[in-house]
Amino acid sequence: MFKTSSHILLVDDEKDFVEMLSLRLQENGEDVLSAYNGKECLKTLEEKNIEVVILDVKMPGMDGIETLKKIKAQYPLVEVIMLTGHGTIQAAVEGMKLGAFDFLLKPADFKELTNKLNQARERRKEQVARIQKAETAMLLRQSKI
Amino acid sequence: MENTNMTDPIDVLLVDDEDDFRQILSKRLTRRGIHVRQTDRGENALQMLEEQRADIVVLDIKMPGMNGIECLQRIKKIPGMIEVIMLTGHADIQGGVEGIKSGAFDYLSKPVELEHLIRKIKQAHHKIQRIQAEKEEAAFKERVTQQMVVAERLVALGTMASGVAHEINNPLAVIQDSAGWLQQILAKPEMQDMPRKSDFQKGLERIHKAVKRAGKITQQLLQAVKTQTTETADPSSFVEVDLHMLAEEAITLVEPEASLRNISISLTSQDPHPSAWTDPLQLLQVLLNLLSNSVQATDTGKQVFVCLAATIEEAKIIVKDHGCGISKENLARIFEPFFTTKDADQGTGMGLYVSWGIITNLGGLITVESEVSKGSTFTITLPAKK
Repeated sequence: MFKTSSHILLVDDEKDFVEMLSLRLQENGEDVLSAYNGKECLKTLEEKNIEVVILDVKMPGMDGIETLKKIKAQYPLVEVIMLTGHGTIQAAVEGMKLGAFDFLLKPADFKELTNKLNQARERRKEQVARIQKAETAMLLRQSKI
Repeated sequence: MENTNMTDPIDVLLVDDEDDFRQILSKRLTRRGIHVRQTDRGENALQMLEEQRADIVVLDIKMPGMNGIECLQRIKKIPGMIEVIMLTGHADIQGGVEGIKSGAFDYLSKPVELEHLIRKIKQAHHKIQRIQAEKEEAAFKERVTQQMVVAERLVALGTMASGVAHEINNPLAVIQDSAGWLQQILAKPEMQDMPRKSDFQKGLERIHKAVKRAGKITQQLLQAVKTQTTETADPSSFVEVDLHMLAEEAITLVEPEASLRNISISLTSQDPHPSAWTDPLQLLQVLLNLLSNSVQATDTGKQVFVCLAATIEEAKIIVKDHGCGISKENLARIFEPFFTTKDADQGTGMGLYVSWGIITNLGGLITVESEVSKGSTFTITLPAKK
């Protein structure tokens, strides 16, 4: 089960916002997918190879925190950056305790966003590398027996 | 001395043309702890009242020149409360009735019995005190109602404004990213020779700046509303705060701004160690805001005053200036969010709104008195440690 190219997934119920931000990220050479609610987000994660999710905290239906919990339960290696308004910083803190990589205040500074995106990707890469190393060690051991 | 009045002695003006009678009566009343001035003519009485008012005038009806009734009518026109007791000739009920109709407190027939007169004087004085107390109570109630109305309005305004701020944040993000996207595109190598490229860049730059400013305002507003609604002050962050030290700290922080315009800030304290039971950081924020406002309102070279006072129940911090003052219309709106008289890029109108929110949240009260070109006084009242 090896999915080829990896993506960023942008989740927000504000369609214009999702569109503009993905245009910007694409302009920077990123491969961006969009989802407009928690359900769509989980569906996309199932189908595509996603590295980082940028997730709005406040969404109708399944909110950001709930979505985050599900993401972390099913795809622990996917990094999540929370997007919050000023009234929902509390939720951002909670999100980070639940395993989100970091949070950004809306309207987020694009440079800051790309920085965090890269950091998140870096963390994931390191984690994946460690897992691979561990797997190799395990395989070596098994082959010796 | 048998003066039942605990505070000041009763001021009486005795007006009668019979010199002997007046002198004796005056002496006797004085002996009973009443402060007496005297004259023999109605015209003089009015003159004396103008120079220094009295509580009660004891007034003979029959006098040469201006008679008692006319004098009474003129006294009653003097602003403030002066009660008049008429003295009538023996069996001159007619005069007494006329006096009461013209506003006299009561009348006594000559010959006057001293005890009787003193009783009447005290009754009249009680009436004055009662009316005064009622007036003060009415004024107090009016003030409290006023404050409640203001508070309700501020909360409603805050709720509405924060709702607007929330809703505006999303479109702001869209605007910012749309402009940012275009900027990114303009920076691409293939766009290098685009006609009028710098005009596009200039326009986008302006959009960017404006969005930043709008974002800052929504941020402040949401923060302000948050301090007064969701985070009802956490009493665990309350400590006994030495107000003198806190005020000194605030003054130190504002001093650089003040000294630029050669303004000094004086700190006086009625108590050696005034203290309040509160959150020091939040209180400091309010104090900084008030001080900086006062400094800005004050002319170069003048002074700003901080006074501290504490009782067992409450502590007061007073910030006073002799600056430009606040007009009556503005005074009513001064604690509203976004209300400012400063230039658009100088103030957002959030400072006093935030201060009000903090103090209310700390269980205190913030009030203001001001007069145009005389200056303003802000008073913070906080519960003291029990």
